Amino acid sequence: MTTSHLAVITAGLTQPSSTRLLADRLTDAVVRSLRETNDEVVVEVVEVRDVAHDLTNHVLTGFASPELQVRLDAIAEADAVIVVTPIYAASFSGLFKMLIDVLPTDALRDTPVLLGATGGTARHSLAIEHALRPLFAHLGALVAPVGVFAASDDWGSADAGLLGERITRAGRSFAGLITGTSKTRLPDPFDEVTPFATLLQGSSRA
Amino acid sequence: MQFGIFTVGDVTTDPTTGTTPTEHERIAATVAIARKAEEVGLDVFATGEHHNPPFVPSAPTTTLAYIAAQTERILLSTSTTLITTTDPVRIAEDYATLQHLSNGRIDLMMGRGNTGPVYPWFGKDIRDGIPLAIENYALLHQLWREDVVNWSGQFRTPLQGFTATPRPLDGIPPFVWHGSIRSPEIAEQAAYYGDGFFSNHIFWPASHTKQMVALYRRRFEHYGHGSADQAIVGLGGQVFMRKNSQDAVRDFRPYFDNAPVYGHGPSLEEFTSQTPLTVGSPQEVIERTLGFREYAGDYQRQLWLVDHAGLPLPTVLEQLDLLGEEVVPVLRKEFDALRPAHVPEAPTHTTLLAAASSSEPVKENAR
Repeated sequence: MTTSHLAVITAGLTQPSSTRLLADRLTDAVVRSLRETNDEVVVEVVEVRDVAHDLTNHVLTGFASPELQVRLDAIAEADAVIVVTPIYAASFSGLFKMLIDVLPTDALRDTPVLLGATGGTARHSLAIEHALRPLFAHLGALVAPVGVFAASDDWGSADAGLLGERITRAGRSFAGLITGTSKTRLPDPFDEVTPFATLLQGSSRA
Repeated sequence: MQFGIFTVGDVTTDPTTGTTPTEHERIAATVAIARKAEEVGLDVFATGEHHNPPFVPSAPTTTLAYIAAQTERILLSTSTTLITTTDPVRIAEDYATLQHLSNGRIDLMMGRGNTGPVYPWFGKDIRDGIPLAIENYALLHQLWREDVVNWSGQFRTPLQGFTATPRPLDGIPPFVWHGSIRSPEIAEQAAYYGDGFFSNHIFWPASHTKQMVALYRRRFEHYGHGSADQAIVGLGGQVFMRKNSQDAVRDFRPYFDNAPVYGHGPSLEEFTSQTPLTVGSPQEVIERTLGFREYAGDYQRQLWLVDHAGLPLPTVLEQLDLLGEEVVPVLRKEFDALRPAHVPEAPTHTTLLAAASSSEPVKENAR
């Protein structure tokens, strides 16, 4: 059994924030999947808002306050990182980017990173692909192929269950990236047929 | 132990009056500050070198030679000499000349300069900062120690049968410090040559200084110049004093809040707790400075920054009075009492000359 250190960067501003909510659910999903394979997980959550002033000071002075330094260390030393940012003006938030800007060079190189983002409408869904993914590719991170975007609709609508499914899928896939496990074979639909009673229940998805 | 001041030479508007000194006034103030430093009994005056506004000291040897002519005792130094963008041949010539004019009252601190746009003005690239510092200093070191130099390198035209004139005073090259905030390569360079290492110290937390000084000391011993605690260490510091703390904080705050380097950033309280900046009474400065020794070891040179961020000349001169009358005499006594006998003082022309004449003709650092 190994112990993985997981850092979670969450850049929401309000209390409570949907960004933090998504971060927590992604973290749960990843931790659950990792524990299935008997891996112990230590989670360190970095609320960017808590060090907003320290980030500005770091940019101006070139050094981190002790409060910011422990967070930078936690990120740099993590085996894997989950990042969740609100989408402002079609991209990650400025505060989120300030934290990324002051990370030590190569802090995230070869580190598995799971991308998450929140936004007002589903029309920003691709912000993960056009804004976050290039940023973390530049940093040399091992960016998980599946990210999760949650719009306001996802939290409130009848389809909200779909978000849970996306989170679970992203978490499982990310855990596999962390542990280096190969993908699970898809079940052969002719091997084990779905019982008709289940089919009759129709749309009652997880 | 040596105590002194170093200036950046910035022309900055006084935020309390809106007055901006002219370049002429700033240069004259620099000379006045250096003279005052000698008058109050400080040991070292060092000036920065910059080639861009709002700074005036672009020609440090001119200023230092002028100061040398007006003073008798104080040691003149640099903070820093740009080893990256200055031709080492010119450094060799300029500072050897200054050494003769000042009767050996100089040393130098090498620095890279962190202003990106300056490099291309001198045909260089900031990304070559470390390689430039290493190659240029290797050449300078040779120019001061060998009468005829044949040399070729990556960054300047080759030299064939070149002699830098004048030769160093009494055949003794000026003592050199290497300054750096965070580059381990520079601590390694200083250790390799057995030169001094100066940690600017003032803008960053003590943990960085501690790391850099420890590396330098360890490598100084590795290269056989003496034990780690005999390495030659200098530290920066930054102070503003009034007789009592509250007045110091009140008077310095507007300068701090608008200072070019850290202004509009951390609060004065945050910055004083996270860096060596001390704003308070002379007694607080004494205690803080003695504390440097706890993480840097017994060190040889303490320089303070006292004349930046638009502080008017009369205020700076008051600071020097306080340093000379109340702070330095106490620190001298306390540091001397704490320092073991085998830890040397910083080399000066006099001690280097004495060492050279006692150890026979081996002027050349054998390596």
